[in-house]
Amino acid sequence: MRTVDLIRSSRATLKHGKMRSLLTMLGIVIGISSVIILMSIGQSAQDYILNQVQGLGSNLIIVIPGGSNNGRLSSPAQAQGIIVTSLKQQDADALARDPSVAAVTEEVRGQADAVFADNDVTVTFDGVPANFFTVRNFGVAEGYPFTDEDVQAFNHVAVIGSELADTLFGAGSDPVGQFIRVQNISFRVVGVLEKKGTGAFGIDQDNLVLVPITVGQKQMLGTDYFNDIMVQANDSYTIDFTKARVEQILEQDHGITDPNKDDFTIETQQDVLALLGNITNVLTLFLTAIASISLIVGGIGIMNIMLVSVIERTREIGLRKAVGATDGDILQQFLIESVMITFIGGVIGIALGAMVVAAAYFVIAKVLAVAWTFAFPLSAVITAVAVSSLTGMVFGIYPARQAARKSPIEALRYE
Amino acid sequence: MLDVKDLKKDYADEGEVTSALRGVSFTINKGDFVSIIGPSGSGKSTLLQILSFLDRPTGGSYTFLGKSIDDMSDAELAHVRNKDMGFVFQAFNLLSRLTVYENIEIPLIYSTVPPAARKKMIEQAVESVGIGEKLYVEAGKLSGGQKQRVAIARALVNDPNVIFADEPTGNLDSKSGAQVMDILDGLNRRGHTVILVTHETYTAEFADRIIAIRDGMIESDAPVKTRRSSKDQFFK
Repeated sequence: MRTVDLIRSSRATLKHGKMRSLLTMLGIVIGISSVIILMSIGQSAQDYILNQVQGLGSNLIIVIPGGSNNGRLSSPAQAQGIIVTSLKQQDADALARDPSVAAVTEEVRGQADAVFADNDVTVTFDGVPANFFTVRNFGVAEGYPFTDEDVQAFNHVAVIGSELADTLFGAGSDPVGQFIRVQNISFRVVGVLEKKGTGAFGIDQDNLVLVPITVGQKQMLGTDYFNDIMVQANDSYTIDFTKARVEQILEQDHGITDPNKDDFTIETQQDVLALLGNITNVLTLFLTAIASISLIVGGIGIMNIMLVSVIERTREIGLRKAVGATDGDILQQFLIESVMITFIGGVIGIALGAMVVAAAYFVIAKVLAVAWTFAFPLSAVITAVAVSSLTGMVFGIYPARQAARKSPIEALRYE
Repeated sequence: MLDVKDLKKDYADEGEVTSALRGVSFTINKGDFVSIIGPSGSGKSTLLQILSFLDRPTGGSYTFLGKSIDDMSDAELAHVRNKDMGFVFQAFNLLSRLTVYENIEIPLIYSTVPPAARKKMIEQAVESVGIGEKLYVEAGKLSGGQKQRVAIARALVNDPNVIFADEPTGNLDSKSGAQVMDILDGLNRRGHTVILVTHETYTAEFADRIIAIRDGMIESDAPVKTRRSSKDQFFK
């Protein structure tokens, strides 16, 4: 039997029972669209997270206080809320002196109320040096970033996030030159940050108050340690070397001889990217696997309908065999019918999935103004088509075999 | 063309063996019109099923066009059914959702005839049974007589050596029955071998030879003295 005859015959059968065919393929449509949606949104989420990490700056090495445990990003002490005070000014200075290091920017962090007129909001404040803005890619949309002089002179100046500016001063107003109080200290707003969204570590960068590190550390927190130190390597290909140097320098400064007893953790951006990439991959795979269950349910539905169809068409099978169809011809015909149902279901599922993904992109990127990318991976489409066709084959083979095995005499006698 | 020697067919059901055919022998030559008659349960349908390669005997030998059924695989039997045999059933066995054209095309689908060559063959077959104007009508919308004519066209389309007709007038009124028998008569006169199974003596007399079966054995095998035609009184 020619392929063109097989397809024509199957198409005629499916067309004859349009409603049944549509209902049969519904399970596959839902399954495939779910897989497409999860794979696409998973890809977008991964891109988003990775962009956020890359947005930290370029060629960065992150040093966090507290020892690592099997290479985990957060040290156990920090994870448990224990304050670790192992990173201090002399560490930052020692790192800055190393030729493999382009820049060092340290950070202290706390929470306080920011007040302007009657507006009062709890914010995260970061005490940072002047080079923080360039090393960490924090652009200033209005005004200017504070300078080394401001830091050295303990000037009470602040650069604030764009959303915080709107909250405190009202949308459209110019906060530069105005005074806000943070932890009862009056700061002159010298700049407003560009809109940046939530950062890689969950900090809402649009509601941040950046103050000179001297002010933040000494006057607001009263500490002598840092929350983290970011080291910028000279170039991307020297990151691993710089990382090794950072480790050596800090171990030397802290008098540590056994690397397992390090009181700090070093991660490069690539480490973080790889880790987050793995996490999102696993999550996407897990969700896709759950969505695949609906494909199995859809496949069982197809098998059920095809078995009914085989019984209903027993006389047809008998006739076809009488006029020359072999067992193989009958098997192929029923198999093609089930594959056609799942293939068409798969195509509809892909279209439906694409629409949902596009709608999600519109809502997230345009309405919620999140830096969301539209991802519709070709691999998801190919997988969907392959999986849907395979589902038709797997769940169609049993009914097709039942049809092929029928004796022509008994089939012709069937009432 | 068909050579049957001591043909037997036993059915086993829960240890009990029933013999449907108990040693049947005859020969049918090319161009013959043979009726097989017998009462219900006589074994005539079983015989037709074996002759038409839809079933295999349990004993004896059957040779069709010089080849024994025992030497052929199921796929080869299917190939012979497609190429050399045409079938007309009492219940028509048309696919009601398909058009007349599509129904007649079914045997061609399983043959080596390319799609481009089919149209002419189907038109010829349909003209020979006189329903050319119904070519694109759904089979389910035809009358009984028209359906049987479509079934005959389907049996003819591959230009088979032999046409097997199993009670072809059984579901028809006498007028339609006459038309169907007239067509089969005409086909035989144009050189087709026709093997007809019926329980009606009058219908059987359209053939030039009648094999009567009873209890799985041949009761009589004799030529028809005066071959009947549709112009006879019975069908008027």
